[in-house]
This record gives sequence, C-alpha cells and structure tokens, in this order.
Amino acid sequence: MSHSVQLEDRIQDGQVTAKAAKIGLALALVGLGGAAALGSAEGDHWRLFFHAYLAAFSWALAICIGGLMFVIIQHLVNAHWSVTVRRIAEYTTNAMPWMGVLALPFLYPILTHHGAEEFGGLLWPWLHPHGDHQALIEHKSAWLNRDFFLIRLVAYFVLWSAIAKYFLKRSLEQDVAPEGDYAPTMRAKKMSAPMVIVMALTLSFAAFDLLMSLAPEWFSTIFGVYFFAGGFRSIMAWIIICALFLRRNRVADRSIHVEHYHDLGKFMFAFIIFWAYIAFSQFMLIWYANIPEETGWFGIRRTEAWMPATWFLVLGNFFIPFLGVISRHVKRNTKLLGFWACYMLFIEWVDMTWLVMPQLDHGATFSVGIINILALVGVAGFLIFAVARAAGNRPLVPLRDPLLAQSLAFKNS
Amino acid sequence: MRRSIEMSHTDPKLHGVLAEFEDVGSLMAASRQVRDFGYTKWDAHTPFPVHGLDEAMGVKPTRLPWLVLICGATGLCIGFLLQWWTNAVDYPFRISGKPFFSLGPATPIMFELTILLSSFAAFFGMLIINGMPRWYSPLFSIARFKRATDDRFFIAIEAKDPSFEESRTTEFLAGLGASAVERVPIPEGRQVSPQWLRTSAWIGLGLLSLPPVLAIEARYSVDSEPPIHIVPNMDWQPMVKAQSEFRLEGSPIFSTGRSMRPDPEGVVARGEEAAGTPFLTGKDASGAWLSGIPADKDAALMERGQERFGIFCSACHGQSGKGDGLVHQRATELAGSGKSIWVQPTDLISEAIVAKPPGEIFGTITDGIRNMPGYRSQIPADDRWAIVFYLQALQRAQQN
Repeated sequence: MSHSVQLEDRIQDGQVTAKAAKIGLALALVGLGGAAALGSAEGDHWRLFFHAYLAAFSWALAICIGGLMFVIIQHLVNAHWSVTVRRIAEYTTNAMPWMGVLALPFLYPILTHHGAEEFGGLLWPWLHPHGDHQALIEHKSAWLNRDFFLIRLVAYFVLWSAIAKYFLKRSLEQDVAPEGDYAPTMRAKKMSAPMVIVMALTLSFAAFDLLMSLAPEWFSTIFGVYFFAGGFRSIMAWIIICALFLRRNRVADRSIHVEHYHDLGKFMFAFIIFWAYIAFSQFMLIWYANIPEETGWFGIRRTEAWMPATWFLVLGNFFIPFLGVISRHVKRNTKLLGFWACYMLFIEWVDMTWLVMPQLDHGATFSVGIINILALVGVAGFLIFAVARAAGNRPLVPLRDPLLAQSLAFKNS
Repeated sequence: MRRSIEMSHTDPKLHGVLAEFEDVGSLMAASRQVRDFGYTKWDAHTPFPVHGLDEAMGVKPTRLPWLVLICGATGLCIGFLLQWWTNAVDYPFRISGKPFFSLGPATPIMFELTILLSSFAAFFGMLIINGMPRWYSPLFSIARFKRATDDRFFIAIEAKDPSFEESRTTEFLAGLGASAVERVPIPEGRQVSPQWLRTSAWIGLGLLSLPPVLAIEARYSVDSEPPIHIVPNMDWQPMVKAQSEFRLEGSPIFSTGRSMRPDPEGVVARGEEAAGTPFLTGKDASGAWLSGIPADKDAALMERGQERFGIFCSACHGQSGKGDGLVHQRATELAGSGKSIWVQPTDLISEAIVAKPPGEIFGTITDGIRNMPGYRSQIPADDRWAIVFYLQALQRAQQN
C-alpha cells in the first residue's frame, strides 16, 4: 500500500480555527455570564444555576467522552474509512483539560453548604443527607463521600486528558515521521486495547458520580452505558458538523467526501438505535420489577409537569431521528445530514436536562427555562473555543497515516 | 415478420459471448464501455467483491431496502397485534397486578419480530432478486470460466440483449482489452437442475410433511394407550410407599422390613406442637364444637380472613358466600350442556350454616364435607380461624 498520498485540498487553516475560537469564547462569556446572572437573581444560593449548568456540562462531556471512545475504537479495529475524520475527533477530545476547568465551579456546591435542607443541599443530595433516605445514603457513604468524590473527579479529568493527549500526539508524530515509519500509529493501536477498558470503566463511574448520584437512593447498573450511548451518538453528530464547517471554509473538503458523511451518518443512526435500546432496557426492567426504590426515579419524571418532556424524549430521541436518518439519501445529502446532526446534539442536551432537572424539586414543576438555554450556549461556546484552540494551525487530516489512501478511496457500495 | 428477421441474426443455440480479463482495472474499464454502449443483458463475474463495479456496470440501486422496511414494519405490527389480541382480548388474565396489555413489556417481542422479518426479507429477498437459486448456467460449460472463482475476471453478454449481434459483439469485447473472447453455446439437455437434486428435494418435502400429518392424525383420533414417554426423567424408579412393608431380595432397607422408621415414643413433629388442642381440632375437652374463636379477634385477623377466603373459598362459595362462585357458574354451564352433573356448593349465609358453632365450621374447613375436600394441609390453623371469623362477618352483613 503506497503511503505518501497527495492531498488535493487545504487541510489546515489557522485563521478559520482562530475565528471559531473567538466566536466560541464570545458565546461562552455571553451564555455563562447570562446563566450566572439569572442564577444569582434566583436567590436560591445558585441551586437552579448548578442544575442547569450540570446538564449543559454533561452534554459537552458526553461529546468529549464519545470522541475518546471513537478514536480508541477506530484504532482498535484498524478502521480505514474513518482516517480522514479521526483528526476532528482527536482535537475534540483535547478539549478535555478545558472540561476540567469547566468542572471547577462544582467545587462550590461540593465544598459549601447553604440551605435547601429538604433536598439535601445545592446539587448532590448525598453531600448533606437529609430525611427519609438518610440511612440508605449513609449506607453508600464508602463511595459517596466528599473527599473521595473530589479525588475521583480530579482523577477522571487527569486520566481523560492524558489519554486524549496520548492519541493526538501519536497521530501528530505520524504526520512528520519518515517515509515508511509507522511506529507512532502502531503505538497508538497497541494502546487502544487497554484504553478501551479504562474508558469503559471511568466513563461509567463518572456517569454514576455526576448524574446518577443526583438521586443517591436510586441505582441502575446500565446507567454508564446509557451515558456512553448518548455520547457516542453525539460525537458522530459533532464530527459531521465540524466537517461541514470546514467544508464551508474550503478546508479538507475533498479529503472528507460524501462517502465519509455517509458512514458518519450510519454510525450516528446505529447509535440512535443503541441509545433507545439501552434507555428502554433500563426502563423496562424497572417497570417490570416494580420495586419502590427503583421506580421512584422514573416516578418523578412521570409527574404532570414532566410527562410531556418524557414523551418528547421517547419520540425525539428515537422515533423522529430514526425515521429521519434511516434513508441512504439523507445520509449522503450534506444539508439534510447537517440538520439531523444539529438535531441530535440538541436532543442529547434534552436528554441530559431530563436526567438532571427533575431532581431539582423531585418533579414538582417543569423547571427548564432560559437559564438552561444560556448554560447550554455558554458550555457549547466554550467547547467550540477549546476544540478550535486544540486544532489551531495543525493539519485536520492525518497526513501520513498508513490507512489514509484507503480512507480517501473508500466507497460505500 | 419482425421476429423472424431478428431471429435470423442470432443462433437460438447461442447463450452469449464471454470475455476474459486479466485484472480488475481492465474489467472496470471494459464494464464502463459495455455500459455506455447500451448493453442491458450482461453480467460481470469476479473471484472476489470489487468495490465500485456496480457503478461501472451501471447497476441501478437495489429495491431491497424497501422490501426490508415493509417486512420490518409488518413484523412490528404482528408483534403488537399478537400480544395485544392474546393478552387483552382473547384471553385476558391478570398477572402480578399488571395491565392486560402494556406497550413496555410488549416492545421486546415487537422489536424481535421486526428484526426477524427484516432479516428474512433481506436474506430471501436478496436471493430472489438475484434470481437464486439457479442450478445451472451455460457458462459452466466453458472450461476457462472455472477461473472466475480463482484469478480471472469475466464479462458475459447474453444473446437475448437487443444490441447483441454475434460477430459485432465478439469484436467489441475483443477491442476492450479482453485476453480471450469465447462463444457460449447452450448445451443440449442440461438446462435444468440435476435429476438427483430434484428427486431428493421431492423426498425431502414429503418427509417434511410427515410431522404435521402425524400431529393432525393424533389430534383427531382416540387411543387407549398412554402417550409415548420420550424423556423418562426419573418417572419410573423403585420406590417404597410410606408405612408399607418392603422386602427386596438381597437389599433390605431396614431389617424389620419396614420402609420407614416409626417415630420414637413421645416425639412431636415441628409445627404440630399444638396437636390435639382445641385450636387445632375446633373441639373443647368434652368433644363439643367450640362456640368461640380461639384467637385475637382484631382487624388484622379480619383482613387475613378476607384475603384467605378470597383465595381458597370464593372460587366455589362465591365472594359473598352464597355458593355462586366461578366454579359453580362454569359447572352449571357444563351441566346445562349435558357434559357433567353438578350440585351447588353450600350457601354459607343460609340459616343452617349461620346456626352452626364456629368450631364446626373450622372442622369442616379442616376435614372437608361431602364434595368439599379438607384444607388441613393447605391452610394453616390460624388462617382457618381467620376464615371462620371473616365468614361470621359475611353472615352478619347479609342478615336482614
């Protein structure tokens, strides 16, 4: 397989990424500033703000974690179709240190204790157990205690940042490696097998910690897979949007061609189904067993205030995009595919909001408002900023990847 | 006569023309040329799948996805209707307090049937659209065509193609870089599948029809023999009846010939500590029926009694105790059609029963009476008293 490939298009553009970073930063300031202003006006010691912020944060985290899994899996299975789009995922995962920065505000609800006694504090109720579930929560205190929680959070972000950096570095090394030297790629491939296990474990526990522990008396072992399914779906949508943005700016627009969009679309479609499969598995077992400590979590999402949102999740997360993306025609049409990718990113945020917001007052009111939108805009802007910065003036296609020629010539037939 | 003019061009004994190519590149190039020339009845044969060949050949997008979609949707509907009709319409049966039909637990079956029918459609649809199974092609008579499964690439244009003209097509193919072009005749008498295959297919079909025939036969005939016991499990084995004498030549279980040891003097079995007391017999020391209930007559006992009555008694005696339970209704129906005879269960609200002391009711539940079996082993004594207590309430409630 010949390895030096002549690319016919521009594959790097520092100006475009700099512009994206600037816009992202502006969005971040406006969004997070606005959300913070609304949050402080609420007069509930930032309780509403932190719930909205956690939903938006989890949304961006899902994309980054999905990206890590995507990069690792592509190495693991020696995939050739995805070589030209892998770099976008690699830069996305390198937003991980910035995600760690975004996680810093959570120190406030973790370290301080203000009001909201009846709900057990500002965000994670097990920090200040209260009421009926106190005994249940104390039983879990070996895992759910403040110090260990902080250690875990730090460990997650350090580990994920290191993994992201490792794979990007190998990929960039390959760009400047001498002809015929595939050592960097081979090292990445070798590392991918253990890393997929590390990722599977850490992302599951992170999902338990950040999202599931909002209802500490509740437990679902499939919850980590649920988070992963949504994240993987989202990274496909994110890559599609990034590639379309680059194409608009005439960057890498020939290296990433319709066959790649078609495959990204197929992957996204597969994970729309996978998400539904996992979400339904979680729901049905709990519904059938009908054990009070398990049904409560769904109970507060089936209240009068939240039932419409729950139905919207069922339709909007599965049935609508399933019918929308099933056609080959849609996946090969960049405009339609771009629309569905945006839609899937939106719906991932709906999903995260559905996981977080009902915990605010146990489903009594539909507590989603402008503050949620502003938090999303802010976090999304920050993610754009971080990804664009990671990309900088670096090549957006791995120049000397041994499988690049096959990826360029790839065809769905 | 247009047809005869056309026929004059083409030898009816001719299947078409076969061109051999040495590599994928020349095959692809040739395929594009054949496509652009306007041939329609032709095919390419390669030892392995060649990406992009379908486009080079001008193959239209397959209709298979639509077939799969339709069959998948059918599977979904079948899965829904099957469960809804059997569970909620044809035989509604309440299980664990769940609704008769609910979309949640029905979804896995609907999903599986969707997948099953989709994959059937994809697999069999693919075979049918590709004209399979095809037992024989005239191309097989060409010796060099064997290399189509090894290291050569072929294009075969059929004589049926409107643009086909033997000498011109041969020349055309030779001009495309073919390493050889060969005429493919239709061999005599080998157009159909081999005789052995057809014979064994008929025999196989005949054998397949045997099980249903046997099943139908068994369903509509009467046999005095017991059913065939295919898996014996441990249904027949030497065993000894309790309290019987057992002497097997050479292997006595107990030297006395007993199959079971008698209890030593004074032993009381677990759970029978109260044996012989009024609580278990319903009689006092003089042998007369108890006139009261030897238990705390509280709300808990009443609730327990109501529950037990609902489970054990109401099937025959009815929820209100009037002897009109579901068993009675069904049995009356059957008796009406002459299939059985039936005596109505006792009306527990009648004067005669109300007059009986509680101990006697307890005794009847324990040991049974006439058609009613004893419930000594099924209902513990305290529950039997609870039932008696509840029955008293039932009777009082219905006395005017």
